[in-house]
Amino acid sequence: MTAEHTENNNSFIKIALNLTCACIISGIIIAIVYFLTADIAKQAQVELNNLALQSLVAEADQYTPIEGKTGWYTATKNGELIAYVVPAESKGYGGAVKLLVAVAPDNTVMKYTITDAKETPGLGDKAAKSPFIDQFPGKTSNNLVVTKDANNKEDIQAISGATITSKAVTKAVKDAVDGATSLTKGGN
Amino acid sequence: MKQGLWGVFSKGLVLENPIFVLALSLCPALAVTSSVINAMTMGLVVTFVMTMNNWIVSIVRNWVNPNVRVPVYITSIATIVTVSELLLQAFAPLLYKDLGVYLSLVVVFAIILSRAEGFASKNTPLPSILDGFGMGCGFFLAMTIIASIREVIGNGTFLGFVVMPSSYSPPLIMILAPGAFILIGYLVSGCKMLIKHVENSKAARGETL
Repeated sequence: MTAEHTENNNSFIKIALNLTCACIISGIIIAIVYFLTADIAKQAQVELNNLALQSLVAEADQYTPIEGKTGWYTATKNGELIAYVVPAESKGYGGAVKLLVAVAPDNTVMKYTITDAKETPGLGDKAAKSPFIDQFPGKTSNNLVVTKDANNKEDIQAISGATITSKAVTKAVKDAVDGATSLTKGGN
Repeated sequence: MKQGLWGVFSKGLVLENPIFVLALSLCPALAVTSSVINAMTMGLVVTFVMTMNNWIVSIVRNWVNPNVRVPVYITSIATIVTVSELLLQAFAPLLYKDLGVYLSLVVVFAIILSRAEGFASKNTPLPSILDGFGMGCGFFLAMTIIASIREVIGNGTFLGFVVMPSSYSPPLIMILAPGAFILIGYLVSGCKMLIKHVENSKAARGETL
């Protein structure tokens, strides 16, 4: 079983045909797998989304999408509004950082989760963990600024070594809070 | 190739370790080794893709025109990676989310192409599978070693558990790329010393490798 490639195998047409065949076969395989998995993947994505909502506002029993705002939800418990869930995005160190922010009806931050980010592992990804994330609950829009002054307890302390990520996350949360504020002012 | 099947498998572990000896695929060795769990997942993915690809390449090797073999191999690697991506997306969305961008990058890892070109294209399926698997294990091993040292020194944790006393202030450089470069340098020289030592002791006993 040794490879035997004779001279007439090297004609222009044969080479092109060879590569074309490989690409067609590969295309067919990918198409079949995609066809089989697309629905399951979509369902998995929806479940993941629900899971994210649930971990964000655990005490709510119903999540209703807000009309006209893709990805926005109101979280209610026994019909009573407990939070707005607002998607937010800003530019971090490694590309877009996407968050889901829960904003309380009094326009303070409740919690956020990072849904998609490509920040440096070990540095930027600390933005999704304690103690950075613990600084946010209860903050109003005015205090959502990053500070490097260790004595400043009002604002958000930057993660050392990941100032850009800290700023990006804080800005996204601020945007979300402002968005929710304009929504409530708009009398929705 | 006059090695036994065990030799085909085991050479990837130390003697021809992809990272420490062949010095291929240093990019993931720098990029994904700041935490052990990421490095291990990456090692598993690469092992899987490399084993599959070596198998496929060794099957089709007689039909592939030598002039276009590299594009064909890359097509094969890309197909395997895309299929695994689609499957992960459907059946393990959480894992897929964690791996994210690194998964697509597996396509261009030098070690996978070099095994297809250097081994699988000249050998029958069984040794090719073993070669891919052995190299993959070597890659996994190297990634885990680098990541363990980086995570313990640079972050004070191992697999996410705190292992250093709370007074320990981790030097940032170990988490950043320069620290990885320095560490890999030391590990490469360590590996060289080990191999040299083994060779010497074998020569002393009058054996050949």
